[in-house]
Amino acid sequence: MKINKFRFSKLVMPSFVGSVYFFLYLPIFILVLFSFNDARFVYKWSGFTLDWYYELFRSTEVWIALKNSLIVAFFSGLLSLSMGCLLVWGLFRRSKIILPLFYITVMIPDVVVAVGLLSFFTMLYIPLGITALIAGHTLLGLGFVVPILYSCFKDLDYGLIEASLDLGATRWQTFFKVVLPLLKPSIIAAGLLVFIISLDDFLIAFFCASSDSQTLSLYIFSMVRLGLSPLINALSVFLLIISCSFVLLFSNLSDKKEFF
Amino acid sequence: MKKFKQRLSCSFFFSIVPGILWQLLFLCLPLVFIIGLSFFEISDKLALFTMDYYRVVTNKFHLLVILRSLSVSFFVATVCSLIAYPVAYFIAFKVSKRWQSIGLFLLALPFWINFLLQVYAWCFILERNGLVNSFLLKIGLISEPLYLMNNMVSVILVMIQGYLPFMILPIYSGMSRFSKRLIEASYDLGASAIYTFWHITLPLTISGIRTGFILILVMTFGEFTIPTLLGGGKKLFVGTLISEYFFTSRSMSQGSAFVCVSAMVLCGAILVVNKIFGLISGATDHEN
Repeated sequence: MKINKFRFSKLVMPSFVGSVYFFLYLPIFILVLFSFNDARFVYKWSGFTLDWYYELFRSTEVWIALKNSLIVAFFSGLLSLSMGCLLVWGLFRRSKIILPLFYITVMIPDVVVAVGLLSFFTMLYIPLGITALIAGHTLLGLGFVVPILYSCFKDLDYGLIEASLDLGATRWQTFFKVVLPLLKPSIIAAGLLVFIISLDDFLIAFFCASSDSQTLSLYIFSMVRLGLSPLINALSVFLLIISCSFVLLFSNLSDKKEFF
Repeated sequence: MKKFKQRLSCSFFFSIVPGILWQLLFLCLPLVFIIGLSFFEISDKLALFTMDYYRVVTNKFHLLVILRSLSVSFFVATVCSLIAYPVAYFIAFKVSKRWQSIGLFLLALPFWINFLLQVYAWCFILERNGLVNSFLLKIGLISEPLYLMNNMVSVILVMIQGYLPFMILPIYSGMSRFSKRLIEASYDLGASAIYTFWHITLPLTISGIRTGFILILVMTFGEFTIPTLLGGGKKLFVGTLISEYFFTSRSMSQGSAFVCVSAMVLCGAILVVNKIFGLISGATDHEN
């Protein structure tokens, strides 16, 4: 009995967990591996090359798409963060009615949000494009920013805010000099999250982008539909490096939360 | 205290307006539009109330699509919870703090890589002369390549891969709040390992499974990219049919009716799941 138990916790569990991680990372390994493959027909390994990276950096369409994506991600992050901070400060623990409004975004499928936005924009004759995309991604972002910031705000030391107001600071001074610095780590973390969600989003871009505002996700989608190309692998390695540095930043910042 | 609240209440109004306005304008209003579109036939400047759209979208074909999406979602969520629970348990209880953070980091990392790229990578693995087939041929397990792409197998497999972290993380966060001493106490008081798991560990961590289950249900039900890129396009899912209505056939009203019907089905499914989880935790709790 004892030996069995020992085996279970020392062998079966770790190997199961290891294989789950292997399964999760299999596609990423494959992407990286085949980006160095010297063949157009991409299933067989036929030698090391960096040609695809060379071709990637020469292609203009990718960089335009990346630029569009970054613009959308930056503005939607900025907008949802500023609105989220203001909202959390304004609500000040009186959240019973308002807060559930922001959970709707997570509770309904993305495709419904996207279709809703599309019909909204077309019925009001609002042109589709980058502005429409920013509006949609800000909406997605608010669904994450508001709950995150609210839960952090709730954990703040109430006494500090009270002290600031008692010592004669106006409410806006308190907001900028006390609340924002206290919330800073979670604001940065939430901002990065929105940024990545926006970069990653495909559905809203698919419905609300116009032909001249192609985002990176749309570009990848059209490439994949055309067939497999090692160019996408090279692109994914490039994005992988960017994402990894972002995640490292993200986890560093959230670790620091304890020291504030 | 009273003065304090008064001073805040002025700023209260102005600072919450933009966020709420945004939410109402770009989420609630479009949803109202969708519901409105599904009930009215719009011709020139007239809008006539009609139930025709609903009659069309509740026929056998549409219900079959909804049923297919729903069963795939339930299957994926169930498999994910079965895989995720041991993984979360392992990360939460069996490894050192350092490995815990590494494990969580590695779980979060795939979120940050464009999901389309992961879907694309599966083509390499599942293609007729892709990795799985060439491996199986080489070791002689099969003599003909298997059809793994463009069918339900690939759709379900990739959904499990893509959404598994959404199940592991909520279960883990529930477990990390759970005190290990309860398990020790249960052992000390003479309970067996199975009894302890069933009456202590599971009831206290089941809310994480419920969160993950509902999350995955919602996300996979409307999934569009995976069926489009890996499903072969023969079998329609809710997400693909909706986009077809809004893009290809341009019949927004009928599409809206379909959106409403499938949203209602999804709500019903969520309520059922909630009820089932409530029953499970009730059953394991009360026997004590």
